[in-house]
Amino acid sequence: MATAIYLEHYLDSIENLPCELQRNFTLMRELDNRAEEKKGEIDKLAEEYISNVRNLAPEQRVEHLQKIQNGFSKCKEYSDDKVQLAMQTYEMVDKHIRRLDADLARFENELKEKLEVSGYESPENRAMKKVGGRGNLKEKRGPKGRGRKCSDDDSPKKKKIKNGPEFSESILPVHPSDVLDMPVDPNEPTYCLCHQVSYGEMIGCDNPDCPIEWFHFACVDLTTKPKGKWFCPRCTQDRKKK
Amino acid sequence: MRKYKKRVGQSKAGRETGNGTGQVHADMDAVLCPPSPCRLNFPATRDTLTYEQAQKMVEIELEGRLHRINIYDQLSVVTEDEMLAQDLTDCNSNKENSVQSRARQRNKQAVSKSRKKDAKHAAKCRRSGSQCSSQSHVCLTHHIQSPLPKPTFRKVEKFKPSPAPPLPVAYYRYMEKSGEELDNEAEYDMDEEDMAWLEIVNQKRVSDGHASVPPDTFELLIDRLERESILESRSQALSQSTIDEDAYCCVCLDDECLNSNVILFCDICNLAVHQECYGVPYIPEGQWLCRCCLQSPSRPVDCVLCPNRGGAFKQTSDGNWAHVICAIWIPEVCFANTVFLEPVEGVKNIPPARWKLTCYLCKQKGRGASIQCHKANCYRAFHVTCAQRAGLYMKIDPVRETGTNGTTFTVKKTAFCENHSPPGTGGEGDEDNGLVGGRGSRGQRSYTLSPPLQQNQNGRKKGSATQQKKTQKKAAGGSRKTGVPLLLVPQIPSFRLNKICTGVSVERKNQFMQRLHNYWLLKRHSRNGVPLIRRLHSHIQAQKSEQREPDAKLQAVREELKYWQKLRQDLEKARLLIELIRKRERLKREQFKLQQAALELQLTPALVFLRSTLEKLQEKDTDHIFISPVNLKEVPDYLEFVTEPMDFSKMHDRLEAHKYISVADLESDFNLMISNCLRYNSNDTVFHKTAMQLREVGGAILRHARHQALSIGLDPSTGTHLPDKHTTNGSTVSWLDEVDLLLDPENRVHMSPEDQLKNLLDKLDLVASMRTSGGRTKRMRLLRREINSLRHKISHQGRNRRLLNGKMKEEKREKRVDKMDFITSHADPKKSTSRKAQEPSCPASSPLPGDAPPNPPLFTLETGRTTTPGQSNKSGGRRQKGKTKENSQSEDHDGFVEKEEENFHSKKHDTVASSVQEEAFNMVSSPKMGVGRRTSVLFKKAKNGARLTKEKSVLLQNGVSKVENGISPREHTPKTKLQSAKSTSPSLHQLRSRGPSTCSDSEGEKSHSLPEENGLTNGLKRQNGNSSDSEGCIPTFPTHSSPPTKRSRGKPAMSKVPVGAVNGVSRSRAVSQNNDEMDPLTLVWAKCRGYPSYPAMIVDAKMPREGILHNGIPIPVPPKDVLNLGRRRQEVTNEKLFLVLFFDTKRTWQWLPLDKLHHMGVDDTVDRLRLMEGKKPNVRKSVHKAYDRAMTHLSYVKENSTFNPSNFI
Repeated sequence: MATAIYLEHYLDSIENLPCELQRNFTLMRELDNRAEEKKGEIDKLAEEYISNVRNLAPEQRVEHLQKIQNGFSKCKEYSDDKVQLAMQTYEMVDKHIRRLDADLARFENELKEKLEVSGYESPENRAMKKVGGRGNLKEKRGPKGRGRKCSDDDSPKKKKIKNGPEFSESILPVHPSDVLDMPVDPNEPTYCLCHQVSYGEMIGCDNPDCPIEWFHFACVDLTTKPKGKWFCPRCTQDRKKK
Repeated sequence: MRKYKKRVGQSKAGRETGNGTGQVHADMDAVLCPPSPCRLNFPATRDTLTYEQAQKMVEIELEGRLHRINIYDQLSVVTEDEMLAQDLTDCNSNKENSVQSRARQRNKQAVSKSRKKDAKHAAKCRRSGSQCSSQSHVCLTHHIQSPLPKPTFRKVEKFKPSPAPPLPVAYYRYMEKSGEELDNEAEYDMDEEDMAWLEIVNQKRVSDGHASVPPDTFELLIDRLERESILESRSQALSQSTIDEDAYCCVCLDDECLNSNVILFCDICNLAVHQECYGVPYIPEGQWLCRCCLQSPSRPVDCVLCPNRGGAFKQTSDGNWAHVICAIWIPEVCFANTVFLEPVEGVKNIPPARWKLTCYLCKQKGRGASIQCHKANCYRAFHVTCAQRAGLYMKIDPVRETGTNGTTFTVKKTAFCENHSPPGTGGEGDEDNGLVGGRGSRGQRSYTLSPPLQQNQNGRKKGSATQQKKTQKKAAGGSRKTGVPLLLVPQIPSFRLNKICTGVSVERKNQFMQRLHNYWLLKRHSRNGVPLIRRLHSHIQAQKSEQREPDAKLQAVREELKYWQKLRQDLEKARLLIELIRKRERLKREQFKLQQAALELQLTPALVFLRSTLEKLQEKDTDHIFISPVNLKEVPDYLEFVTEPMDFSKMHDRLEAHKYISVADLESDFNLMISNCLRYNSNDTVFHKTAMQLREVGGAILRHARHQALSIGLDPSTGTHLPDKHTTNGSTVSWLDEVDLLLDPENRVHMSPEDQLKNLLDKLDLVASMRTSGGRTKRMRLLRREINSLRHKISHQGRNRRLLNGKMKEEKREKRVDKMDFITSHADPKKSTSRKAQEPSCPASSPLPGDAPPNPPLFTLETGRTTTPGQSNKSGGRRQKGKTKENSQSEDHDGFVEKEEENFHSKKHDTVASSVQEEAFNMVSSPKMGVGRRTSVLFKKAKNGARLTKEKSVLLQNGVSKVENGISPREHTPKTKLQSAKSTSPSLHQLRSRGPSTCSDSEGEKSHSLPEENGLTNGLKRQNGNSSDSEGCIPTFPTHSSPPTKRSRGKPAMSKVPVGAVNGVSRSRAVSQNNDEMDPLTLVWAKCRGYPSYPAMIVDAKMPREGILHNGIPIPVPPKDVLNLGRRRQEVTNEKLFLVLFFDTKRTWQWLPLDKLHHMGVDDTVDRLRLMEGKKPNVRKSVHKAYDRAMTHLSYVKENSTFNPSNFI
């Protein structure tokens, strides 16, 4: 097999991925358990408080409530850690994917050149086209939008547009409805006001606590990426209130 | 409990829609606690709602009030008829007390006014909510012991999944099967012949004791045979490689392919011809065979006209074959049917000379008929097909000949020998002209020389050229290929047969396979070797080209790419998964926060509630005066005055330390804070004003909070919820009952007026805070009316008493109170109606008889306030209470009060007279002290004071009680006031113009308002003046000029509606008020015929032509023609018309009589009603816009006046 050397390298690099995933998930699981424990404690404390509150002096009440408060802050810490971990894991996988995309693009280009040089133009090109075409189709939804997009989650500085550079060009003209016609993995996360899977260009809300995070350009009436910070309609509303 | 459960469902449903089932357990915790009472019952602030909560609310604006309806609330549908009936009953009686009607009413509003969509949505959510509630309830019980959620489930016994409904078309997609997939299944379908054969075979097999072969197996085997044969033929078939790429018609040698004239291929010999060239007008279904394959499949045919084989043949009329092209070119030959181009006729007509011509190309003599070069004098002869092969110039041109028979179309055929071909076309490679050139090669490929025919044997023998031998050989080879189509059905070697049937289990396999093979062969033969599966046949070309070079390397690359793509897909899946995990964790985090908030609400609802109240209070302190403790370095003497400092931050601390257990505690601290401020700061400072303002606003908030605390049911000792609280529904109804009960004066007879007032105010608050319902507004109105009349009464008592007492100090105090109330009341013009309720009561503040402490007014006020925590916070109410003592004293003057009342009933002149009397009376008694004090205190008022002295002198001169005289001094006051307020030309102008007149119509109107004017602006020390007029007269006051308007807006806003609309006592006054007082620059609702009331401003027609500034805002000058028009109209109608300037975009002018004008900005409710007046939405919109414009104008005018007091001097 005339596999390019960089693809071999890639294989090497990806070898650790499952282990790392496993480790991260185990960590998350642990944190989750601890958080659940804490929650149990809090519940106990709360019951205690309710049963005793009549006899407690204000100071004692404050003290008791403080305990509960502490429990919650611990829980919150765990939750933050978990989110952090999940984000890290995501970054990791995303990095691998991007690298693979780049490598594959390179590989295909090289292959094409080689074939052209060797003169087997017609049949092999056709075969290439066939393979490449199918590959593209399959990958269409992957690298587009979502790929770029979530990589910079929670790092609002660089977000804005998340479109895969390699494939976006070919996919940009794809009309949303075309994309929607494609079979959708029922487990695929949905985004935007429309609760659809990601497609085309997406924009991230600059509010880090935005419940939705990502929006299709069309759904928020954008055609080009806006300058400066952008907030989704809901967050804009909330901000106005404040 | 029911409510509780429902809540659980709600929040659950809200989340679940988005997140699927993963969060069930998590949500349960968040929802454990009952809902926050503040958020549900407090409609005013939207910011307290989280996004999720807001999603569950439907907001409706009704009569200027925002209503929130939880989408989970049950709303029943009310038809329009019911609505109408409801409205009627509503109008007829105030006492619909049944729960049902109440509920229905609420629904009516919700359904009718909210958009239908919302209602639908609500219904939907309710459904899902109820579903979830049961489910989540189950989970709830499980949650507490176990750290991780355990799903509970049960098997539904008789559950049959219903067939899924068909999905929209977008979900279906036609996916063509790939070649590999197709390879795996049998494409072949049995026909009748096959059935018959299989039956025979099976019969035999059965008789032999073997199992019969199922049709499926048969089909599969046939399919495999087909495939094998195709593979076989591929390896053999070389001659047909060129078909698709550059197929050309072998008649015209053209590869042009039009839709109407496509190139057909014979299914057996692969002959390519145009439809027109071969005479096939319609493309047949299924296979198409050329004539020679069709009629003489096994024998190659020879053309009678030329020695060449191959190409497109047609039969001649005598049963021989001839090339189509030969038939075309040889002049004597023609087609019998020119559409189907067959049969070839006229072979016999060919003259012998033609037969004898020797083709110079093939040099064969006597074989076939030749044509000659069309060049004159050139006699070279050649066979048509030979010429094609050689690429000679042969051209067919359509020619139009116009002869005697009309126009006929013929063709002109020209063929030249090699030597005479037109220049540029003779050589090879030129494809542009005619049939020659590059096409020569095509011709070459098309034909092969046929072996010399038997009858021409001699010729063959004679021909000794080696070339001929070669030709022979070639022809032999050709005959093998083209002549025997059987070759197209390749025999399949037995080892392959074995391979084919490996997957099939049939008894006596070999025998059966042999038979099947034979049968298949026969079948192929019978079909002239055409494959049984069309797809394979049609794809031969594509596959051939692909497969022809089974490039191992390419295959490898493909495999590799596939591998990488699989890897890519797997990674993508992983990424999706992790993205979901990330979302889940975020939700979990969110849920923890919610849980925390919920637990806090559960454990310390009182704390939360008080906190929110405190925050609301703090919000009102816009200047942050009270936010932190007083800096003792800045004001070292602070502690001398204030023993117990208090501020918001300290209150926060105390709150967090659980020092407050009820609203009353909070309130007492709040009042302490305010009173500290009032005590330390003199009343002309901004601090003082703010404190007063805050006291009013805060009082309302606290009062509201107390009501809420009551309805929530907080346990003061624990700060938690009481175990059982009465349901809101019942209470609403009972409250309504009570309100109705109280509204009936008979039921209040036993109470003192103050008690009554207090009760009424409480009820008003209650009703105002209730959720929207039809009877509410009306009750509020009734309540307000009652309150006003009560106040009226009470104030009379006070006045009478004072009249009797005649105590200077007390009056002074009142005056101070007036002033303060001014400030507070005008400070918050936008207050809600509920708050307005308390304002009119201000003038009747607590005069404690007898003692006059060094700081009399402030001190008494403060103590009055601070000592009554826990009671109604309403200033009016409290003051009233404080006054009850005195009232008991002054009870004996009630008779007098009654008399006064009667006075009000009498004509306006009488009241004016009486008030003037009173005024005068007071003036006489009060002057020195009041004036001196005022001047020392308020800068701006100083001027008034000065004026006042003048007035007083006038008053004194005029004597005590002459009505006419009374008017003129009063006349004075507004002037001074206007002057002081604006110090602009119009006021001076007015002053000048109006000063002298006494009883003219217009002046008379104005004069009515003056008593209060005096009382209010001058701080005229009579309590009576204020209090007695508080309902009747005060409302008129804002209309004098805009500054007073805004200043006292709250007050009249309150009293105007009840007084004008309902109160019998003051109706006469209301009328009188309507008759007068439309001062220039007043904002009004102007009603033109055919239009709804429209915001406008009254403009003085006599204003100077150069324009004026109204508090720095330029007032447009009416154009001349408008003025003239007004003058004329006034002459015609003989009534006073006011010039109004509409706040429309064009700022149009209009002259309107007084009864078409109504004050604007006086009562929010009235304004709102007017805003709704327009029938069409666009009209309403424009009215709205105009109203906004008017308000902006007002605010500009107001701003200037409040912020630049120097203007007034």
